[in-house]
Amino acid sequence: MDRIILGDNQFFGINHMSEDKAQAQAERFRDVGAILEVIDTAYDCGIRAFMFNTHDKVAQLCDHFRLHPERYADLRLYPSMPYAHKYANVVAEKGIFGALNEFVFADASVKQAVGTILRGGKTVFTQNMMEVMRLLVDAEMKMFRGLNVKVVFLQNIVTDILLGMRVKECFVEFAAHLEKKYNVEVGFNTMNMPKLVDFLLDCGLENPIVCSSINKIGYLMSPDMESYEEVMNTRSFRPMAMSIMASGAVPPREAIEYVAGQKNIRSIVFGASSRKNIEETKKIIEEASC
Amino acid sequence: MLKGGIVGFGRMGLTHFSILNNHPEVNFVAVCDASNLMRKNIGKFMGLETFDDYRTMFDDMGLDFVIVATPTATHAETVASAIDHGLHVFVEKPFALNSDDGRRLVAAVEQAGLVNQVGYVIRFNDVFREVKKLLAADAIGELYFFRMEMFAPTVLKEVKSGWRSKKAQGGGCLYDFASHGVDLINYIVGRPVAVAGSVLQNIYSVAVEDLVSTTMLYDDGLQGSLLVNWCDASCRKPAYRMELYGKQGKIIADLHAYKVHFKGEPPLDGFESGWNARYITEFVEPVRYYVRGFEFTRQLDYFIDGILTDRRESLCSFADGLAADEVIEKITRDAAERSC
Repeated sequence: MDRIILGDNQFFGINHMSEDKAQAQAERFRDVGAILEVIDTAYDCGIRAFMFNTHDKVAQLCDHFRLHPERYADLRLYPSMPYAHKYANVVAEKGIFGALNEFVFADASVKQAVGTILRGGKTVFTQNMMEVMRLLVDAEMKMFRGLNVKVVFLQNIVTDILLGMRVKECFVEFAAHLEKKYNVEVGFNTMNMPKLVDFLLDCGLENPIVCSSINKIGYLMSPDMESYEEVMNTRSFRPMAMSIMASGAVPPREAIEYVAGQKNIRSIVFGASSRKNIEETKKIIEEASC
Repeated sequence: MLKGGIVGFGRMGLTHFSILNNHPEVNFVAVCDASNLMRKNIGKFMGLETFDDYRTMFDDMGLDFVIVATPTATHAETVASAIDHGLHVFVEKPFALNSDDGRRLVAAVEQAGLVNQVGYVIRFNDVFREVKKLLAADAIGELYFFRMEMFAPTVLKEVKSGWRSKKAQGGGCLYDFASHGVDLINYIVGRPVAVAGSVLQNIYSVAVEDLVSTTMLYDDGLQGSLLVNWCDASCRKPAYRMELYGKQGKIIADLHAYKVHFKGEPPLDGFESGWNARYITEFVEPVRYYVRGFEFTRQLDYFIDGILTDRRESLCSFADGLAADEVIEKITRDAAERSC
């Protein structure tokens, strides 16, 4: 696993502290070209690992990567799925199964694949929840075909709702499907890391990869920082840190020194949009990690 | 341990369930949902009792409380039955589709002495809690004007089917989305005595409105405007913005931050004359379990805490839900008169 990963929240107007900042970012990155410029800058600074949501624009980025295999020969992707906001309204409108139907059957290749098992009609098919999950994963994975995918993450809202429901099969089957069909490891994004780690271990997933907010002020760390530190020190898993600067509330050096002080953290995901910030952050992480 | 049940296992039902399912004092035992598929999967993967009729669930399961998260048109009937069964009730917003039903439910729940709450979750947002405190401390002097704006990318093309496009089921921007703004105004500023110039405008929807605008009037000369548009493709998710103008200052707040401007010396410690920006990272308190936002956990834990501590007053009671419904009815009537 890579020590330093560039995240993508800044490209999609996601900021957990300020809607003004989010707006400014959404304006700056309205087209894929502006996003690519930042990715190229990071790549030229020596960053090879990138975490992406399965946003429509990421599909366009992936097309670009495939078109220029030499430029991105060493690129390593850490995608997170699904991009939840595209599902949210349909779920409110049509319920979970209505939404699943809509998304599963919106995809032509899925329609084809499903054709063979559709003898009993849509109803019988959607009763097999795990099969639906596998098809949704396949639909989302398509944008990364031919690229070097290291770890596929389950997005945090989905992870945390499923964790709340305590349905072990979802976690086990998600991991099994990606490992078997794509030969990639799975990870889980969460806002509730301590609870999730114990649950994953309980599911029998060995040494799981768990990516969560980890920062000096305890922002987006439920239930509290102490539980995070205790779990990192006592459980067998691979922690990854994101939101290390708490959306800008903690200055970079201070933020990184805290995270680097947690010895078991494997990877640090950070967001930045300028060469200066990317270079500086990378340098501080490398210094602090020595 | 409190025994809980849920009626309506859609997007909000799921969210509420996952937040409360690992509350140390809660044991969910039953789910009622209209979908046969949903019931089968809940039974298979979660081992809960499932029902297609909430009355049977209330009769059979010996529940302490229920979460009602069905489309609005069914709230009144479901909540009335829950009160008859002596259950504490959390019901999603908006409260009821007409204020006559709402008044009956308020009377019934108060008579029964049960904990009651409506899911106006923005009341539990950390920024708006701070804004409420600032006003309670008279930080910006006498209010003379406010502006509440809400935007969301909810409806971006013509919609003909589903409960959201049916007025009789509680669809439309006014009930489904603008109700949050109406309630937040009631909570932070107070209840308007009248509304004027209300317009309910269709944009993509055929049978319901997509945009709501109105002016709210108060006895003491205060006025404010509410503008809500759920056809805004430029937003990533729902956005709330409230501006409050007082004789000594001004506040601009959204879900993540607020700015306060003081005309002269601020009356509170920790602030300076002129602009002061405060971000959620500076004052948010962590929650026990996080799904979709701090406020979702905060409102449910507040509800459960009310049952455990026998608290009778509520930060967002049925009476508050009724008050929002009454303003919504005023807006509807005002808009109808205008278009006649």
